[in-house]
Amino acid sequence: MKGFAAAFLVWALVSPQGGGETWPAHTACRDGNLEVLYQSCDPLQDFGFSADQCSKQLKPNLNIRFGIVLREDIEELFLDVALFAKGSSILKFSYPVCEVDLPKFSFCGRKKGEQIYYAGPVNNPGFEIPVGEYQVLLELYNRDHSTVACANATVTCS
Amino acid sequence: MAPCAGCFLLAVLFSANCKVITFLDPMCTEKEASRTYNCENLGLKEIPDTLPNTTEFLEFGFNFLPTVQNTTFSRLINLIFLDLTRCHINWVHEDTFQNHHQLNTIVLTGNPLIFMAETSLNGPMSLKHLFLTQTGISNLEFIPVHNLGNLESLHLGSNHISSINLPENFPTQNLKVMDFQNNAIHYISSKDINALEQVTNLNFNGNDIKGIEPGAFNSKIFQSLKFGGTLDLSVILKGLQNSTIQSLWLGTFEDTDDQDLTSAMLEGLCEMSVESINLQKHHFSGFSPSTFQCFTGLRELDLTATHLRELPSGLEGMSSLRKLILSANSFEQLCQISAASFPSLTDLYIKGNTRKLDLGTRCLEKLENLRKLDLSHSDIEAPDCCNLQLQNLSQLQHLNLSYNEPLGLQDQAFKECPRLELLDLAFTHLHVSAPQSPFQNLHLLQVLNLSNCLLDTSNEHLLAGLLDLRHLNLHGNNFQDGSLSKTNLLQPVGSLETLILSSCDLLSIDQQAFHNLGKMSHLDLSHNRLTGDCIDALSHLKGTYLNLAANNIHIIPPRLLLILSQQSTINLGHNPLDCTCSNIHFITWYQENLQKLEGSGETMCASPPFLRGVKLSDVKLSCGITRVGIFFLMVFVFLLIILLIFSGKSILRWKYQHI
Repeated sequence: MKGFAAAFLVWALVSPQGGGETWPAHTACRDGNLEVLYQSCDPLQDFGFSADQCSKQLKPNLNIRFGIVLREDIEELFLDVALFAKGSSILKFSYPVCEVDLPKFSFCGRKKGEQIYYAGPVNNPGFEIPVGEYQVLLELYNRDHSTVACANATVTCS
Repeated sequence: MAPCAGCFLLAVLFSANCKVITFLDPMCTEKEASRTYNCENLGLKEIPDTLPNTTEFLEFGFNFLPTVQNTTFSRLINLIFLDLTRCHINWVHEDTFQNHHQLNTIVLTGNPLIFMAETSLNGPMSLKHLFLTQTGISNLEFIPVHNLGNLESLHLGSNHISSINLPENFPTQNLKVMDFQNNAIHYISSKDINALEQVTNLNFNGNDIKGIEPGAFNSKIFQSLKFGGTLDLSVILKGLQNSTIQSLWLGTFEDTDDQDLTSAMLEGLCEMSVESINLQKHHFSGFSPSTFQCFTGLRELDLTATHLRELPSGLEGMSSLRKLILSANSFEQLCQISAASFPSLTDLYIKGNTRKLDLGTRCLEKLENLRKLDLSHSDIEAPDCCNLQLQNLSQLQHLNLSYNEPLGLQDQAFKECPRLELLDLAFTHLHVSAPQSPFQNLHLLQVLNLSNCLLDTSNEHLLAGLLDLRHLNLHGNNFQDGSLSKTNLLQPVGSLETLILSSCDLLSIDQQAFHNLGKMSHLDLSHNRLTGDCIDALSHLKGTYLNLAANNIHIIPPRLLLILSQQSTINLGHNPLDCTCSNIHFITWYQENLQKLEGSGETMCASPPFLRGVKLSDVKLSCGITRVGIFFLMVFVFLLIILLIFSGKSILRWKYQHI
């Protein structure tokens, strides 16, 4: 048992800085019957996000605000979304945000180390969110599969 | 006493001495011994002592160096590449790089620079690339010019630059690339452009250019000019009068407001010479046959995601166009692109169509010179493909139909394109009823991607006629009973050099399954459930790259080691390898042939339990009798002899006493 404790201590000491640290939960939007909370799951850094409107009846082409420091080049950038309800997976999809032959957004091609602030549309379809609580895992990564941003979000719709 | 001694002996005989070598370095990671190191995100305040003096490539981003001066990097005089991204650098003092004669690239992206000393960049004999992206620069005078004579690229994106007017003493004789992305440049004057003597690549993306002095680009030659996200394109096109440009990027973005493109706005193109133009994400306001009248000299036109539902027939000015990109639009039928307007086309890309694309019949028959056709990700469905659909494409060499809806292929399905060299059908469900041979006439085909096509692999005629096939990808297709039998679909393709059979859920491979594939140099069998016995099927192969990662290999018997020795590179990562003495021959072989092995970081023991997760290259087994063992054995034999002598003596004595 002692050996185990010692091993754990060594592991804790040598694991990369920031490992184990958790970032605070933020509110992306809160309005009447919908609340979206998120927390960065990138051990290296937090990021800022908010959506301009927050309603059960999600409008198409939502405007968001997003601020982050890039830790990777984003000439190519992909988004993975996984949606869970009550612990079971409902939906998973992957969406290319920036590609070499189609940089959809003006921030595509920004360099590692740049700070980005994006305020604009996200080109989402409109849909109605059914009542319930959902967990959403969002991951932004580049061509080498290096994490650009990672978020654990909780959507509560009443 | 005797059983105990026996146990002891057994223990000595079978004891395996195990030694695990672990290497922990919480600091920088070594990417290439004594040359390349990554020290990012470590919160370092100085160059760590662990870095060798010989370091040439150093990634040091996201650390803490508010001041850099001549002592900061003084030890690392061999540096060629230095990345100091976001290190909170405020000051770059005099002679910081004084002794770094070989330094070729300095990255200072994302540092809040307050001041760079006059001699701060002196030292390097040939500084070629300087990144000053997002460093708060508002005036180009900020950049110390003393040692920039060899500079080839200067990156000044995301600053507060409003004028590209270079200081008079700024050396530009070698400067080829200048990046001004996301600044506040609204006006470009003749003087500005004249100062950029040799610069052939200019990036103005994300600057809202409102004016260009007439004649500023007069008789200038550029390789690449980018004006992405500009509000009014006519300003740019008028300003570029009489210039010669190889590639002109005028696309816009999802988040940029722009005016609809009209024929009048594109008129400026008549006054310049452009080879390739990109107009991605623009809206065209009404199409007339004359919209492209000024595109006559154009070789490449990229209209990706330009909201097109059709192109009118009889478009003028497109007769010399070679490459047309119509990806991410919403055509309903292929005939709606009015292919007859582009008679010289050699490359056509319509990938990621946002609606279900109907291939129709003979829609591309006027494109007699077409060499490359990409129709991937376009929701194409065709129960009987592809002769009517691809009629008259006799010169076609590359065809991409991957990521579509199910296609039904009959015998000789690509008879219309007999010159095909590459055919990509990945992730498109293919209906081929046995014993048909859809690729029958493709004698020149070299590359065929059939990954995840849900093929009927029991059809032995499926690949008939592919006389010159070099590269075949069958990733993700299943075989009957999980086994590749002696007679299989690979029989007709004897010229194969690369074969990918990964994730095919294979359990076994017949010893004769590959017997006709003598030219193979790359075989990927990863992500199956194969055991060591499958290596038997490779006995006739030599010098092959062999990927057996993520299978079910426990033990590799000694007789198969010879077959592995014949190959050039082998990957055995992620297998449940046995690290007991019953696999000792393989483990010894593995450690003697480490230079042949790929992914040795992931090649680990699965048993016995106390060695689980240990790298195979770190395991030390000794399965013979050790010196201690021999000593004890001799003692044991000696004791046994004494025991026998004594017992013999006592038996004899007992006998004599009873005579």
